[in-house]
Amino acid sequence: MLNDIKPENAVFVLVSFEGPDRYSLAGGLGVRMSELSRSLAETGYETHLIFVGDPSLPGKTTELGGKLTLYRWSQWVSQYYPGGVYDGENEKLYDFDESVPGFVVEQIVWPAIAGNKLVVIMGEDWHTANTLPNISDILYQRGMRDNVLMLWNANNPMGFEKINWGRLGYVSTITTVSRFMKHYMWSLGINPLVIPNGIPQRLFSYQTENKADMVRERIGGDYFMFKIGRWDPDKRWNMAIEAAAQLKSMGLKPRMLIRGGAEPYEGEVLHNANRLGLNVAEVRPADNKLENILDVIDSVSEADVLNLKFFVPDDLLAIFYRAADAVLANSGMEPFGLVGLEAMAAGAVVFTGSTGEDYAQPFKNALVLETDNPAEITSYLRSLDVGQIKKIRENARWTAAEFTWDKVNEIFLTRLNFLAYTSLPSEVLAKTNEGVRINYV
Amino acid sequence: MPAQPIPKGANVNDIAQCLFDEKMNEKYFHKVARTCYYPAVDMFQSLVDRGLRLSIGFSYSFLRQAQIYDASLLKKFQQLVSHPNVELVGVEPYHSFLFYLDVNAFIKNMQDMVSFMEYLFGKRPVVTDTTEMFQSNEIYFALAKAGFKGTLVDGRPWVMGWRQPSYLYKYDGGPYIFPRHYQLSDDVGYRFSNKHWSGYPLFADTYADWLTSAEGDFVFLGWDFETFGEHHRREMGIFEFTKGMVEEVQKRRGEFILPSEAIEKFANGSHTLPLSQHPSTWAGEGSTEFFLGNSVQQSIFRLMHHAYHKALLTNNIELVELAMWLLQSDNLHLVQWFGKHGNEAEVSAYFTPSEWWRLTPSGIVWEMQQVYKNFIQAMDAHIPFIRQQQTVASYQPALDDLLYR
Repeated sequence: MLNDIKPENAVFVLVSFEGPDRYSLAGGLGVRMSELSRSLAETGYETHLIFVGDPSLPGKTTELGGKLTLYRWSQWVSQYYPGGVYDGENEKLYDFDESVPGFVVEQIVWPAIAGNKLVVIMGEDWHTANTLPNISDILYQRGMRDNVLMLWNANNPMGFEKINWGRLGYVSTITTVSRFMKHYMWSLGINPLVIPNGIPQRLFSYQTENKADMVRERIGGDYFMFKIGRWDPDKRWNMAIEAAAQLKSMGLKPRMLIRGGAEPYEGEVLHNANRLGLNVAEVRPADNKLENILDVIDSVSEADVLNLKFFVPDDLLAIFYRAADAVLANSGMEPFGLVGLEAMAAGAVVFTGSTGEDYAQPFKNALVLETDNPAEITSYLRSLDVGQIKKIRENARWTAAEFTWDKVNEIFLTRLNFLAYTSLPSEVLAKTNEGVRINYV
Repeated sequence: MPAQPIPKGANVNDIAQCLFDEKMNEKYFHKVARTCYYPAVDMFQSLVDRGLRLSIGFSYSFLRQAQIYDASLLKKFQQLVSHPNVELVGVEPYHSFLFYLDVNAFIKNMQDMVSFMEYLFGKRPVVTDTTEMFQSNEIYFALAKAGFKGTLVDGRPWVMGWRQPSYLYKYDGGPYIFPRHYQLSDDVGYRFSNKHWSGYPLFADTYADWLTSAEGDFVFLGWDFETFGEHHRREMGIFEFTKGMVEEVQKRRGEFILPSEAIEKFANGSHTLPLSQHPSTWAGEGSTEFFLGNSVQQSIFRLMHHAYHKALLTNNIELVELAMWLLQSDNLHLVQWFGKHGNEAEVSAYFTPSEWWRLTPSGIVWEMQQVYKNFIQAMDAHIPFIRQQQTVASYQPALDDLLYR
């Protein structure tokens, strides 16, 4: 039998469009790939991350003492598309599908197997749904397929209509990030394994409490709400805006800080805010130093909604999360809900939706919204007492600590062991275990 | 295939990389080199030492690929051409149908080809073929204008009329015309391996009898070089046949003669051959239908026009060259099978890379058209009016804005 998968006997290859470069970060997937790859490498695994990287950076770099290798793929295409990872998506996709498989097999799998190691290849989201079968085909032709575990992970349902599920499911174990997604995918005839998303340990190291108190005081108002996410109807921005409007109509003073992306849906949301009588102001500080931000916010004290127009780094986000009376992660459709979990790590009072947020327990570590009625937000917000808030904040932090990448990787590796035992041929398990060289053509 | 999308603003090198599947080209080149080019060139090298006189033509596209994929093969061809019994004939450089689109560019290309051949082989072609032996009244005069002394035509009955193909011809003061003896040529070129042919199996002595007993001044035989080892496999005996044929012809006191020598010898007794306004070719049934007979071929042909004309608009010689590569007749040849059955369709299907069939026939024709469409669109950025190149750095504020966290 194979010993458990461990750094001495396994190599990880992560394949994704998004990755750690700023160019390659478009949302949760980029963060996930950055953190997952780092976490595996920190645990000691030889880890390779192939992603559509910044064309101005080196094509290949190593980190963490050589344990983590980053491959910035399709740079020759990206040089024509400065607008980020999904700019020129089709052109990149073609190049990715065509060139990644051969490279992975020749440059990573081949030497790993020669060193008696098991190779785990994990693809992420629909962009890699052809890449994995293409890798599998080459491995099969080269007689190496039995030495490789292949997984494909769905972070969200985007692009599902483009996937050849039969082919993908034949060559890889399909995984996803929440039980909600699992059930969602049942309707497609697929039963994915659930391996949750994680958050980095560093989120717990930010000293936020004193700064959060100061921020809360400077923001003012009766209720300080914070919301961050793509401008997308799935995020239920209008529900959040309407909740603020309801509070205002009750004679209360809401102060809502919002930070969206570059999506055009912003226009509709802000139009709705204005229509509901909310005062909206943009916050554009000279830099993202907290003091300068608060100075700008002070200057628009009459605003109900403050639209942050600058990049908000992790540590600053943690302060806002902690300072807010409510972090509105109230999505109507969330495959996992990373923002909610990150906010919980900061000890926030998080209002989540009720789809993929497996981590959220109603009124224990979060406020789980069951409807899209804004009154559900205002009702819970107004009914919470100090004791409940304190308890929720404590529990939130406690829960979030169970989802750090090292903990998630324990689940991931346990699942992998199960897959290895059940899907690899016994002679491969034995040979890998005994350190016998595996012959292949 | 499927067609690779070309990034907007891509430079010429990147466009070329997206248009052509170099890996696949190289694979097939090596395959044919192994089965045909190497054994055939060795065979002809030994045969010219023993008295065979032959003429040979190379497209620029073939030479370029040989140079990149197998330089030693190119050296072998150079050595063969250097033999006094070998004459170099001209070929349209890109194996293209440029004469249909731009006759002046065709003339210039043919003239440039002569200089290039002289540079590469040390011999200057004076007699020339065209792509797939296309010949017509208009092409003939274009070749006359380009300065050639002789040219070829496929000696089909409808081209020759009452005339025999085994004489030297001329028309209205232009180059001398060698009609390929299509019957005797195709006995070897097409029918040699055909077990259903009444002449099968064809032996060298029989064929030598046919050649030496043919009426006329000479028999002009013309074949694809790939006849030897590729169209007809080694195991079918094509190499032994060819060697034997030379020997058997010599036994019968037959002589081999080079085209330029034939002009010297037969010029005074040359006859008149008016050429048709509709082109003839040595492919298929001998008319343009082989390349333009179905709707897919016509559609791709129109896209060839658009690609070439768009390239001209860029004033970029490298893009024009890419357009010429895309003009090659093979891109029409390999979809000749569309909507057809029978021998010809089978032959053209053989020329379609096996890797493409997974796309299905309609997928192949769709993706082939997509290649041209991608190219035409990619040239948008090369039309010379003022553009500003955006860089990642100039986009940084927008990138920041894209990131909501």
